Amino acid sequence: MSATVEHLTPTTALEDRIAYLLKDRDKSAITLIFENYGALMLNVINRILNDLPMSEDVLQIVLLKIWEKSNHFDSSKGALFTWLVSISRNAAIDKTRSKDFRLSQESRQGVEVVSISNAITADDKLEQMFAKQLIEQLPEQQLKLINMSYFEGYTHKEIAGKLDIPLGTVKTRIRLAIKHLRSII
Amino acid sequence: MNVKEYIKSGILEAYLAGELSEEEMLEVDRMAQEHPAIKQELDEMVRSINKYAESTGKQPNPEVLDKAVESIRETEKEDFFKALREPEEEIQIKRVNVVPVWTIAATILLFLSVGFNYIFYTQFRDAKDQLAILESDKTTLASQVSDQQQELQYAQLRIAHFLNEDNIHIRMDGLDLAPKSFANVFWNKKSNAVFISVDNLPEPPHGHQYQLWAIKPGQAPIDAGIFDHNQLIQELKVIRGNVEAFAVTLEKEGGSPVATVDKTFVKGFLKKS
Repeated sequence: MSATVEHLTPTTALEDRIAYLLKDRDKSAITLIFENYGALMLNVINRILNDLPMSEDVLQIVLLKIWEKSNHFDSSKGALFTWLVSISRNAAIDKTRSKDFRLSQESRQGVEVVSISNAITADDKLEQMFAKQLIEQLPEQQLKLINMSYFEGYTHKEIAGKLDIPLGTVKTRIRLAIKHLRSII
Repeated sequence: MNVKEYIKSGILEAYLAGELSEEEMLEVDRMAQEHPAIKQELDEMVRSINKYAESTGKQPNPEVLDKAVESIRETEKEDFFKALREPEEEIQIKRVNVVPVWTIAATILLFLSVGFNYIFYTQFRDAKDQLAILESDKTTLASQVSDQQQELQYAQLRIAHFLNEDNIHIRMDGLDLAPKSFANVFWNKKSNAVFISVDNLPEPPHGHQYQLWAIKPGQAPIDAGIFDHNQLIQELKVIRGNVEAFAVTLEKEGGSPVATVDKTFVKGFLKKS
């Protein structure tokens, strides 16, 4: 876990490092992408597929595609994150055209999306436990917004509809939630 | 729009949530590149979200990474074996000629052609030279044959005159001027025609000619005609009467009405019958 923190500071250097490793055909680039952007990419995919296990399968394909297209990345055209999102979206859209996806859509009709449990599991590390405790200090509402926007694939508009609050308020609250998060972890 | 307002607008949150279109995302990238504060804000947000995911177990399943790395290794292995299995193709690529094969063939043919052209031209020139030599030989031979034929004709004619029973033969021998000279005259008794056989007379000086004279007793020599030194047998004038001798003198070209007696080269008397 400390490795992840090490990669993250400073992030500018991380992006450059990933770009360099991709050009160098070094597989550690894929690990760095997964560790630093995996959650955000999964969120982008899940936003389209609305099926977490299927989205994780697609993320796996996306990582392979990133490897295959690694010499197509051009940092002068945009940030690494934008490129990763673009590949993730295209892979997710491809998936929606598959028979696999259509079948799962039919079977899950009417089934509520089960929210992922926040409960502490036995193998959680002490550091993680500490962070978790800090996070739990955040207002419930803010946690919910972060989860919906960054981990459950809901758009700001969808959140507004679901929670019955104005779109502008959704945006402001998400901003505040992240700000809070940053202040505690 | 200043940087603070831009950050406050909530566009960065939407950016990371993947809510923006690609065009909008690239716009954010441009802003982040121009303003380090925006870039820093984004980096901080990514860090916080990741930290949150890590702490709450919302990170993607690590198996996803393991499987992805595994499939990358598989494709690499496939590519490696593919490269091993198809070495001929690689070599073929290397073998592609910059110069097409037909141009090589054409060049070889051109050089062969030039070579053969040279050989044939040389042979042709030699043949032409040989032909010229042969032509000249032929001309020489032809002229020789013609000369021989003429000589043969003269010889035959001379023999005919010798054998002719109607002819009187007079041999003229060389006098003091040219002791080794000699010539023969054939005088036909029936026709009175006179023939001379130029057997051995010195070459006459330029502008001079030999002339035959018939000599009758008590008379000045009678002109029997001028003759060509180069022709062996020649028919000259008709002479009648009591001739006792014939003689040849050297006269000016065209002949003379009066014999220049002191220039008598040969002289012969008729045999008394």
